[in-house]
Amino acid sequence: MLTADYFDGRSTRVRVVRLEVGGESLLISGEDIDRRVPFSEVKVDERLGRAPRRLRFADGAFCVVSDLNALDALLASIAHHDGWVDRIQRRARFVLLCLAACGVLAVAAYKWGLPWAAEIGAAHTPAGIGVKLSDQALEVLDGKILLSSRIGEDRRRQLNAKFHALRLPGGGTEQAELLFRRSPQLGANAFTLPDGRIIVLDDLITIVGDDRQILATLAHEAGHGHGNHGMRMLLQNSLVGAFLAFYVGDISNLLAIAPATLMQARYSRDFEAQADDYAAAVLRLNGMSPGLLADALDKLAKSHREGAGAAYLSSHPATDARMHHLRSQ
Amino acid sequence: MDQGTEGESHGGSPSAVAPEPVRFTGSGAEYFGIWIVNLLLTIVTIGIYSAWAKVRRLQYFYRHTELAGSSFDFHGSPIKILIGRLVALAMLIAYNYTVRIQSVWTLAVVGGIALIMPWMLRNSLRFRLYNTSWRGVRFHFRGSVARAYRVFLLYGILSLITLYILAPFMHQRVKAYQHNNSWFGQTRCSFHARAGQFYKLYLLLAAAMVAFVIVVGYSGVFGAFAALAEAQKHGQRVNPYATFRALAILYGLLITIGVSIGPVFHALITNLIWSSTRVGEHRIECNMSPLGLIWISFSNLVLVAVTLGLFIPWASVRMARFQLEAVRLIPAGDLQQFVDAEPDQVGAVGEEAASAFDFDISL
Repeated sequence: MLTADYFDGRSTRVRVVRLEVGGESLLISGEDIDRRVPFSEVKVDERLGRAPRRLRFADGAFCVVSDLNALDALLASIAHHDGWVDRIQRRARFVLLCLAACGVLAVAAYKWGLPWAAEIGAAHTPAGIGVKLSDQALEVLDGKILLSSRIGEDRRRQLNAKFHALRLPGGGTEQAELLFRRSPQLGANAFTLPDGRIIVLDDLITIVGDDRQILATLAHEAGHGHGNHGMRMLLQNSLVGAFLAFYVGDISNLLAIAPATLMQARYSRDFEAQADDYAAAVLRLNGMSPGLLADALDKLAKSHREGAGAAYLSSHPATDARMHHLRSQ
Repeated sequence: MDQGTEGESHGGSPSAVAPEPVRFTGSGAEYFGIWIVNLLLTIVTIGIYSAWAKVRRLQYFYRHTELAGSSFDFHGSPIKILIGRLVALAMLIAYNYTVRIQSVWTLAVVGGIALIMPWMLRNSLRFRLYNTSWRGVRFHFRGSVARAYRVFLLYGILSLITLYILAPFMHQRVKAYQHNNSWFGQTRCSFHARAGQFYKLYLLLAAAMVAFVIVVGYSGVFGAFAALAEAQKHGQRVNPYATFRALAILYGLLITIGVSIGPVFHALITNLIWSSTRVGEHRIECNMSPLGLIWISFSNLVLVAVTLGLFIPWASVRMARFQLEAVRLIPAGDLQQFVDAEPDQVGAVGEEAASAFDFDISL
C-alpha cells in the first residue's frame, strides 16, 4: 500500500489517498475520492534526487508521492521504465563516467576543437570585416599610443620595396601593407592587424638595424597574416569567453574572466611557432638563412634585458627555444 | 530586518495560523549527477540540449522547495525554451557584430533591441510565473505591455539621464509592476514597499562603496594605478608587469566587493522586497542574514575556483537552501482554498532574451 497527496489541478486542496494496483489500472481512494485510472493514461514524472514524484492524469489531477521506494515497487509491478537520462543521472558509476567524458571533451575541445572551429570561422569571415576591425583599431591607437614614424622616408621606402619583393612559398610576392609608426610605450615591436597589415615601430628598426634581420621579423609578422592569426585569436577568445560564462556564469561572472585570460597564452605560443616556421620558409625561398630571425630575436631579447624594448618579448615567450629552433634549420 | 511590516495595519488578520517556513530538501551530491549529465549532453549536442538541461535544473530546484508540506513544480517546455534560446542567440550575435563593426546598422540594431526589450521582459515574467505551480495551481503574470514600456524603458532612460539618482525609484517601480501583477491562481499578489525604503538601502550601498574606496586608498593599493597613469602621461615605456599587477589588483578589488558589499546589499534588498509582498491576505517574511550570505558567497567562490568548477552543484544547492529557507509565509487563513485560473499561452523568447542580455529580474 502506498499513500500520496492527491490534487485535482484546480485548487490547492490536499487529499490524502491510497494508491493500489488493480488489474490494468491504478486505484486511488481516500477523502471523497475514488478513481480508477488505466495505466496507459498515467504519466509518471522522472525521478529527480529525493524530490517527491508526481503521477499525472489526463484531466490535470495528480498524485504526489514522497515514498520513492514504495513507488518504485508499484511502478515495477506495472512494468514502467524510467527514461535513460533519469537512470544515468542517479547511478554513481555513470555519473563518474560522464565526469570523465566531460574532462576528455574539455581537453579535446581546447586542444583541437576550438582552434579548428576558429580556423574555419576565420576562413569564412568576409575580408571586409577584418579591414573594418583593423581600421577601428588603428583609429583608436593612432595619435595616442601610435605616433608618426621618425625613420627617414628613404629608409622606409627601401624596406618597403625589399619586403614586397620577397617571394612567397605559395608563389607570388608579399602583398601586406607596412605601416610605419613610433611608440614610446610599446617600444621595439611589430604587430599584425586582423586584415594582415603590419605595423612596424621605429625602435624595432633601430635596435635590429640590419635590413635582412628586419626583413626576417617582417616575414614572421607576414606569417601571422598568412595564417589569419588575428581573426582566429579573436574568434577563439570569444568562444572561450562564451563557454566560461555558460560554465561558471551562474556562480560569478568575475570568476569566468581570469581563466579566459590565462587560456590565451597557449594559443599565442602556437601562433608564434607557426609564424616562425612561415618566416623560415620565406627566408629560405629567398636565399636567406632562418637564423636571421633568430639574430633579430636575440637583439630584441638583449635590448629587453637592458630595459629597453620590453613589450615585444612579453608577448613572445620562450625566446631561447625559438632561436634554437630557427638556427637548427 | 522587518521593514515590510512597519506601519502597515493588519487589523483583521487572524493570528491563529502558524507561519509556514519554506524548506529546501535538495542535496549537492544528488544534484551533481543531474548537473554533470546536463553538462555532458549540452556539450555533445553543441548546446541544443541546454534547453532540456534548464528544465531539469529548474525542476530539481522547484520540486525540492517545500511549503506547507507540498513542493513547487516547473512546467516549462524544453522546445519553447530552445526556440527562445535560438532567437536570443541571433539577437546577441547581431548585437555583438554591429557593436564591433560599426556601421549604419549599429544604431538600428541597438535601438531595435532596446525597443523590444520591455515587451520581452514582460513575456519573460509571464513565462516564468505561468510555468510555476504549487499544489497544482499555477502562478500568472498579468502586467500590461504599456506599463512594461513605462517601467523598463521610460524609467530606465530617466535613471540614466539623472546619473542613476532615480535608479532606486526605478527599482521600486519594477518590483511593484512585477509583484502587483502577479497572481497565484485567482489570488492577486501585492507589493507594499515605498521608494523611500529603496533609497535608504541604496544610500547605505553608496556609503559602503565610499568607505571601501577610502580604506583601499589608505592601504596604498591605488599607487599601482597612479604610477601607471603617470608613466603613460609622460609617454614613458610601461613595464608590462606593472600593467599586469594593476589589472590583478583591480580584479581582486572587484572580487572583494563581490563577496562583501554585494551580498550584504543583496540580502537587505531581498528582505525588503519579499517582506513587502503579499499573496492575497497572506504575508511573506524574508529574513536573510547578510553575514550568512557573505559566508556562502565567499566559500562558494573559493571552492568553485579550487575545484575548477566541480563544486558548482554544491554551491548552487547551498545558495538555494540559504536563500529559500530565509522565507516564510504568514498565512492569513486556510492555504487549501486557492483556485486555479484560465491557462495562459506564452512562449519563452522573452525569458531567454532577457537572460542572454543579462537582465536579472529573477524572482
